Formats: sequence, structure tokens, C-alpha cells
Amino acid sequence: MDYKYIEQLLERYFNAETSLEEESILRTFFSQTDVPAEMQQWRPLFTVEHTEELDDEFDARILEMISEEESHTVVARRVSLTQRLKPLFKAAAVVAIFLTIGGALQAPWDNSWNTPDDYAALQQQMDTINYTPVQAENMVTGAADSTSVMLKDHPKD
Amino acid sequence: MKKISFQADVLPLKNELFRLALRITLNHAEAEDVVQETMMKVWSRREQWEQLESIEAFCLTICRNLSLDKIRRMGNQTASLEPGQDPADRSYGANPEQQAEQRDRVSLVRKLIDQLPEKQRTAMQLRDIEGKSYKEIANIMDISEEQVKVNIFRARQTIKKEFKQQEEYGL
Repeated sequence: MDYKYIEQLLERYFNAETSLEEESILRTFFSQTDVPAEMQQWRPLFTVEHTEELDDEFDARILEMISEEESHTVVARRVSLTQRLKPLFKAAAVVAIFLTIGGALQAPWDNSWNTPDDYAALQQQMDTINYTPVQAENMVTGAADSTSVMLKDHPKD
Repeated sequence: MKKISFQADVLPLKNELFRLALRITLNHAEAEDVVQETMMKVWSRREQWEQLESIEAFCLTICRNLSLDKIRRMGNQTASLEPGQDPADRSYGANPEQQAEQRDRVSLVRKLIDQLPEKQRTAMQLRDIEGKSYKEIANIMDISEEQVKVNIFRARQTIKKEFKQQEEYGL
């Protein structure tokens, strides 16, 4: 048998140029019994066996831990579903409170002038009225009186 | 994508994970711990299984990270090689002397691999023992394929050199 090919493969193996297939060829080659003496030294490199193993006891332990963990998580998840909504409710409540307060605060502003022009117009209107404050007051009471007069219908003077 | 079952797909990876953990931690008990933690972690992320490209690579990545955590935590406690874990000799017809030599050589390989820096060790383990492609190893170790190649190249060169040296001085 010609070992040139194997030697070549070995050389390429050490240069990390071999493919997985070529490495498996090397492994197969070295796993046979009649490896030539000059290559015997490399044999252990390719015949490392999978002796380091975990026993079935390990499987049993893992499966037990998992079933335990699963029973835990099922309970935990049921709680978390309701709990997950809780902060949402809280947030909604806070938002509602702020909206209410904000709305209440906004109301007086809505009833007032929005622009300086509105104010100026009102001011002008006020200026054109030639009543003194006292007259204005009397006028209001007069008006109120006239209403009562109209309603009750009893002449005063 | 097929349904992944823990018992059929994840649990059988235990020996592969164990070997990787052992190669990194160099300690049987710690490696077993790591595999156990890996299993639990993989289980706790079972919602993600369906989105994974490879559950095996996923497990190996977790296993490697946990192993690295472990050795970091172990600090400078230099763990020695576990004795009595040498593989059985399969060289039929060899005389006891040759058998002994063969056994020494196999343990020498393991010893040499274990003396390499962690990255080279892991890369070599995944490549030469588990038969993974460069791409898979790169994925597991979270480095580029090029770096994987470099690590494996260095590892093999070191092993070759050490082997030659051992050959000269004799065992």
C-alpha cells in the first residue's frame, strides 16, 4: 500500500488544511491495526476515543430537575399573567387622574381670551361705555328689578 | 422545522457537552456540573428552540460559556488531569510493553491538548474529536472562521512539535 497519500494528508492536517472528510480518512486509516511503524507515532492523535461519558443516572437527575422546574414555572406563569396587567392598570389610572386634573385646569383658560386681540377688543368695548362703575352697578340692579317687575307684575311707583 | 424534544434531541448531547466542558475545565466534577447547568439553561429557554438553526450548536455555546465562567471562578486552582480515565487500548496483538507505550501516548495526546490555551483546546476538541466544521466551531465559539483556523493550526503545530520532542527524548 502506498502511504504517500496518507503522508500528504498528515502534512496538510498539521497545517490545518484538511477537510473534515480527509480528517475522517486519517482517522479510519489510523484505526486499523497495521499502521506502518514510521507513522505509528501519530496514531494516538487520531484514535482518541470517547471514553469520557456521563451515566444514565445523570439523565434521570436532569429529567427530574426539569419536571420539578416545569411544575414551578406553570404556577409562576399563571401568577405572572395577572400581575403583568397590574402595572398597566396602574398606569391607566395615573393617566386618567392626570387627564381629569388637566381638563379641570384647562376649563378656566378656555373661557378666557386666547389672543391679545380678543382682550384688546374687549377693552375697547369697555372704553366705549360711558358709565361709571357705580352707574353700571345700578344699571345691573335696575335690570334685575325690571325683570322682577316683569315677572311679578306689581308697580312700584 | 421539526419539533425538538428535550429527551430525544438535547439529552443525548450530554456526552459531547461533557467532553467539551471537561476539555475546558479539566475537572470531572466541574464538567458534570457545567453540563447539568447547561441542560437546565437550555430547558429554560425552550420557547426559543424552534427559532434555532442548530440546537446542538446552541447547547455547545452555552456549555462553553458556562465552562469559561467556571474556570474563571475557580481562579488559579490548577486542576490536574483526571487519572484513570485513559481509553482502553485497542491495539490487538501488541505485547504488553507496546500496549503500555500506546496507552502512554494516548494519555500524552490528551495531556498535550489540555496544555494548550483554552481557545486552541476548545477548537481542537470540536474539530478533531467531535468532527465539527470550521463554520460550526466559529458559531459556537463566537469568533470568525479565520480565527478558528488559526487556533486549530497553532494547536496542531504545537502538538506536532511536542510529539517530536517526546519522540526524541523517549517516553
